Amino acid sequence: MDILPLQAGDWAFVGTNWWILMQGLYVTVLLTVGSLLLGFLAGFPGGAIEVYGRGPLRSVVRGVGVLLRGTPIVVLIVLFFFGVQWPDIGAVPLGGLLPLPAFEINGQALLASTAALGLRSAAYQSQVFRGAIRSIDEGQLEAARSVGLSKLEAVRHVVVPQALRRSIPGFQNEFTIVLKDTSIAFAVGLAELLTRGFELFTQPAGQTAVVEIILTVSAIYFVLTFLTNRTLDRVENRFAIPTGE
Amino acid sequence: MTDRRGRGVDVGDLPGARRLVLVGVGVLFWGWLLARWLHDWVLAPDVNTSDREPFVPPARLEAVAEQLHDLAAGAGAAAGLLEWLAGGVEFAAFGVDSMPALAAGAWITVYLTVLSILLGLMIAIPLAVARTYGGPVLRWIALSYTELIRGTPLLAQLFVLYFGLPTTRYIREFHGVGEGFVPYAAIWVAVIGFTINSSAYQAEYIRSALQSVDPGQLVAARSVGLSRLEGIRYVVLPQGLRYAIPGWTNELVYLVKYSSLAAFITVPELFRAARNIGSDTFRVLDIYLVAALFYLALVLTLSVAMSRFEAAVAIPGVGSASERD
Amino acid sequence: MARLLEFDDVHQAFGDENVLRGISFGMDRTDVEVVIGPSGSGKSTLLRCVNRLTEFDAGDIRLNGESVTAMDVDALRRRVGMVFQGFNLFAHRTGRGNVTLGLTEVRDIPSGEARRIADENLARVGLSGQADSYPAELSGGQKQRVGIARALAMEPELLLFDEPTSALDPELIGEVLEVMRDLAEEGMTMLVVSHEMGFARSVADTVTFLDDGIVAERGPPEQLFEHPERDRTREFLGELDT
Repeated sequence: MDILPLQAGDWAFVGTNWWILMQGLYVTVLLTVGSLLLGFLAGFPGGAIEVYGRGPLRSVVRGVGVLLRGTPIVVLIVLFFFGVQWPDIGAVPLGGLLPLPAFEINGQALLASTAALGLRSAAYQSQVFRGAIRSIDEGQLEAARSVGLSKLEAVRHVVVPQALRRSIPGFQNEFTIVLKDTSIAFAVGLAELLTRGFELFTQPAGQTAVVEIILTVSAIYFVLTFLTNRTLDRVENRFAIPTGE
Repeated sequence: MTDRRGRGVDVGDLPGARRLVLVGVGVLFWGWLLARWLHDWVLAPDVNTSDREPFVPPARLEAVAEQLHDLAAGAGAAAGLLEWLAGGVEFAAFGVDSMPALAAGAWITVYLTVLSILLGLMIAIPLAVARTYGGPVLRWIALSYTELIRGTPLLAQLFVLYFGLPTTRYIREFHGVGEGFVPYAAIWVAVIGFTINSSAYQAEYIRSALQSVDPGQLVAARSVGLSRLEGIRYVVLPQGLRYAIPGWTNELVYLVKYSSLAAFITVPELFRAARNIGSDTFRVLDIYLVAALFYLALVLTLSVAMSRFEAAVAIPGVGSASERD
Repeated sequence: MARLLEFDDVHQAFGDENVLRGISFGMDRTDVEVVIGPSGSGKSTLLRCVNRLTEFDAGDIRLNGESVTAMDVDALRRRVGMVFQGFNLFAHRTGRGNVTLGLTEVRDIPSGEARRIADENLARVGLSGQADSYPAELSGGQKQRVGIARALAMEPELLLFDEPTSALDPELIGEVLEVMRDLAEEGMTMLVVSHEMGFARSVADTVTFLDDGIVAERGPPEQLFEHPERDRTREFLGELDT
């Protein structure tokens, strides 16, 4: 029984097909950025509503949040894929920039995956913001109100800037979760990094290179999470409020 | 205690009245699920999954839907509402029809989760202790392991184990795999994958919990004559593990949801069971909605149960149960 | 002419607990009024009713003859400054930034001018050198002086002080009281809740002893401290001496 069949020829196979993985990476990055953006745009107001909102609006935001957080992401992705009438944008042409050859992906799978990952991320980001907003002591809001700022102005100038800073660690966490979970768009055949890797090792020429391909794919994910985490660490330090220590 | 490196998977708190409703639904749901499992293995163990009958005959619901349709035909203004109602009952009939198959899938989901979290915990505790109290080499090894696992997608890890390495081949050589109550190879691959993945995350939760135990505690333990390891074992861990319960709840909920990825390495758990029904009946959207509700029932009851557990093992001043509002 | 501030039979309850049970007194421009009393006597609540951080249940509070409940709440707060026990500085803004926020957002002063006004007011409380420091870099006494500068910059008609020195270490209390003493001499109208009897004795025009939600005794400091009329006042002052 041969253990770990890592052969030179298999690495060469990865080497000659690297552009396929790069195309996958392109889609992964697109999906990650799109989902996080959607997550922020929906999650930030969501968090604010959970703290400051009243009545039915708040209940709805909370309820939807629980549903999104309680359902597996793969189920959400297939639900958004099969359950929503996406406009038929056909195949989306991507790449074409040297040295990445042009390619096309399924537009509806892209929309559904972005919606599922983005809205689920919004449900988590709203919790990050909610916690950050609540961690800012009431006194500052009172102080802002007592120099004559309206409630909205006080929240905007006093609570939001501090809450955003305190949310950075939560974002960091959320970023890595979304990045890794883009691989689950595999379920609807979206040609992101892991799917492209899967396609590579299931074709006849790639069948002996399975380990090499998946390790390469994993390494790319790892480098991405690692680099982004370091970058966000720097962002956090850059915007940190001096403490005098 | 908010863990900045956690997976952030808690479902959030629910207001009191809704919590009560949830407990009611939870009791009903688990009562049914346990009855179902008991019935399928003990009372009718030889019936194929696809031939099992639901407890509530779906034909009765279909008849109701039929009547509603008839009513709607002659109802004029209220027709829309009645049609909508009929649609709801039809959905319920379909859901009921698929319950035996989903219950069988849920059984795999549940034991995948339970096995993986327990086995993962057994790896996570030494990992966390190594990272907190170990020497430079031990710390570095533990750090590399957790960072590598946490930096790559779970699905990629499952693919490495299932498609990449000859894991299944080794497992099949064990006597009895796939016979009787012993699950077959793909399930074991999934258990191994989830265990490894979960151990890295649990180690992080436990590490940050250990760090929140006052260092004076270990000093005090040493001063009564305990060795360093004994001090960790008898003083630090019992406190630290209590601090880790919220993180551990997150992890449990996370595993319930992400065990669905085992579907892609052929494990017939809940999500794959739903997918199979979808491709048989072509009612893809309906079955995924049923599956979503099924997962929600598992996840929500679990998080309520865990917060009960946390309160039950709480010691005044240790852990976070008492600080919650 | 109407008095600057008038309490007229003010009542306030939180649930079953009657915190204020009919408070009536008034003060004029440049008056310094110190409110003393045991904890739970309603002192802070009374202060917070003036700028409506707490809405009172019954009675009336008038600023220059106009009921505060009839005013736009933001306009009211622009005219009445407040200094807090816990400082409540904006943690993400420098000392100067704490002062400019109200200037630019409420008084619509351009930012250059706002900076000038802020620096002027920080100098007034002796913090010229700390304008660029963040709250976490300041001592408690410095924080409270920023809090005072922040309120002063809005050019309020009345300044409320809610136990401004209670959260301070003893050695830092003096610098804050010194600033308050200067303000009083400059003619600022001040309503102060405080436990600093020395300050009350030397700076206040009038001292009000609040007990159990009512004005138990009120008068010039020398009278109230040297010859209290009520047993309850004597008892309270006696407890402080020990």
